[in-house]
Amino acid sequence: MKEELETPKLSEEEEELKRLLVPDVATLPLNPPSAVQSNFVTYFAPDFLKPGHDQYVHRHANGLCVIGLASTHVAFKDEGGITSVDFNVGKSDRSGVKVTGKRKKNAQHFESNTALCKVSTSDASYIVRCCVKGSLLEVNERLIKQPELLKSSADREGYVAIIMPRPADWLKAKASLLTSEEYKKLRVDCTTQDSSIS
Amino acid sequence: MANTAATTDPLNGHDKSVTDSLPAGNDLKLLIDAVRSLPHPALKHLLSLKVCVRCIFRIFLVHECLYSCAKLSPSLLYSNIENGSESEGELNINEDYVCRICLGILQFVYYDQQNVLVKSDSARDFALMIADAVKKEGHLVDSFSLEVSLPPLISENENLVWSIIKKKYHSEEWYQKIVKSELISTKDVFKLSLTSPLESLMGVKSGLSSFRIRLTYTNLDASKNGKSTAEKIQCNKRRKTGADGVDSNSIVPTADTENSNVGASEEHGSLESFPAKGLENHENPDCHLEKVNQPCHLTFACSRAPMYIGGRYLKYSRNVSQSRWIIDDERMGEASVEEIIGGNILPTCLGDGYKFHAAGREDIDVRMLGSGRPFLIEIQNARLAPSDVSICEIESRINCHESRHVMVKNLKVLGSEAWNLMREGEAEKQKQYVALVWISRVLKDDDLETISSFKDMKLLQKTPVRVLHRRSPLEREKIIHWMKIEKIAASSQYFLLHLCTQAGTYIKEFVHGDLGRTYPSIGSLLGCRAEILQLDVTDVKMDCFLAEKIQ
Repeated sequence: MKEELETPKLSEEEEELKRLLVPDVATLPLNPPSAVQSNFVTYFAPDFLKPGHDQYVHRHANGLCVIGLASTHVAFKDEGGITSVDFNVGKSDRSGVKVTGKRKKNAQHFESNTALCKVSTSDASYIVRCCVKGSLLEVNERLIKQPELLKSSADREGYVAIIMPRPADWLKAKASLLTSEEYKKLRVDCTTQDSSIS
Repeated sequence: MANTAATTDPLNGHDKSVTDSLPAGNDLKLLIDAVRSLPHPALKHLLSLKVCVRCIFRIFLVHECLYSCAKLSPSLLYSNIENGSESEGELNINEDYVCRICLGILQFVYYDQQNVLVKSDSARDFALMIADAVKKEGHLVDSFSLEVSLPPLISENENLVWSIIKKKYHSEEWYQKIVKSELISTKDVFKLSLTSPLESLMGVKSGLSSFRIRLTYTNLDASKNGKSTAEKIQCNKRRKTGADGVDSNSIVPTADTENSNVGASEEHGSLESFPAKGLENHENPDCHLEKVNQPCHLTFACSRAPMYIGGRYLKYSRNVSQSRWIIDDERMGEASVEEIIGGNILPTCLGDGYKFHAAGREDIDVRMLGSGRPFLIEIQNARLAPSDVSICEIESRINCHESRHVMVKNLKVLGSEAWNLMREGEAEKQKQYVALVWISRVLKDDDLETISSFKDMKLLQKTPVRVLHRRSPLEREKIIHWMKIEKIAASSQYFLLHLCTQAGTYIKEFVHGDLGRTYPSIGSLLGCRAEILQLDVTDVKMDCFLAEKIQ
């Protein structure tokens, strides 16, 4: 009944519905915030354990943290782009673990410096780490087949993993992370001064 | 409710039909006739054992209609026994005892909730107290159902007394007659005595009803007797083996449970209905008879079974959650559908509380439009059932509220089957939505065709990040039945997306892709980034609670 919107005669109810649905374009922003911007607060860990290893943490209001490589990460400077992503690092293959249930059984508990995966370019390889202490819920397996996602969509489809920290652990981690503003200032300052990042 | 007593032999006239109390003239005569036909040695014996009149009647299968008579006292019996003068001299007529068997229940004597001993002159007196208590609770009902719970001790007592009778009179002819039939249970007589007076005092009929009056008798004094524990267990054990083939073993109280007769047996504890008439070799039947009998403790409760009022609701606000949502003492959103609807219904029904149930839910920032979403409000212990007019008033009150956040349609009192009706097929029902979508490039006409071309498209959705903290990490396959883009005149990158999906599909994630965890998504189908700004539910495709179809 309400499927065919081209029906010439609409009932009063349907008219009313139509009125409610159509927005006032004048109030719509030209460039609306993205889903990530609306639903997460993004923090940064610049030079995490190694110079140039910039990572981000998207934190959701529910406490979950999405971990990934910041666009300024040194891996993206290599020509030829990202060639492979390997989750088999440390003591286990991170892509192999199956977390089940509401209580997230079988999730591995990692420290902030635990390795998540190894990212390789034609020139070198880089280790991506957790940045936040917590349970590993999921890794982005799509990166295995589509490693280029890392660069093309670093802060969305190219995310690396999702971690669930305990509230206390998050507070500790947060203390050493930068907010978006602080991070932008840091990186902008550096690039205006000289090209080396230390 | 035929009056059959006049033509039935009082001794064997046990038939289960409920009879009304007799017209006054016949009353006393029939009673006297019945008493005179009882075997008087046994009668005197039972009276000396301190068994009350109604229990005596039960043992001798006296007709049901005689239990409600007001003046059922031992002196009535004594004065009508054959050769009455003989017996008067012999015995001390002490009427002030608590019955050995029913512990005062059929004498309408009990300890109330404040542990005060209460005596009533008659069943009617007792019924008056109950009716007053119901009135005090503020209930307005059109029927009632009387539920009675008695302590298992009563059946024990009954068995004991019965075995005494058997031992002494088994050779008598009258004994041979009664032993063939079932003893009339204490519970049956109790309910029978109370039902008529309650009906007339409350002005309504008893039967299957959502309003329940529950009388729970417990006896905590069972431990006080001269016997040692070991001997008591022995008595119990013997009783166990004597039963009539029914497994009454499981309900026989042990020495321990006798002390805690709280929460006593349900409607037909087998020992009550089947006295151990086949009891053999019961060596010392008098073992319990020295104990002092205390009346039972009575707990009165009355309540109405949950009442269901349902219909469909619409939500026009993007800041109203479906159910009450409080985090750290702070309310999320301005209000909740649950409280707006429940809060308007509860006072009218004068209930204790309410529960809100709906066929699915929408996020706080999603509007519920169209024909609305089916819901049920479950009212606990309503004191009165709202009339059709009241229901209309409630509907108006909700719909005319100045904020216009929530509207209800087809509000109606429903039976408990409404719950199943709503839940059944909830997972299969399709839902229709309209989303306001923005894409990162200009919309082309080709895009409209592309999107419309998909029918029953399969999606794989990983549990969205926004609910992943409290849900299982799963990948769910969902179906988008159809989609359609509606252009918005003044915009090249915004459009309205109409879609119809399987129940349980996460629409927001289907639009923005949830970091690639929902695939395909609008973004992937159109080859660009897509964001969702607003979502509305326009149809919950379910048949229930629609205006015409309500039973």
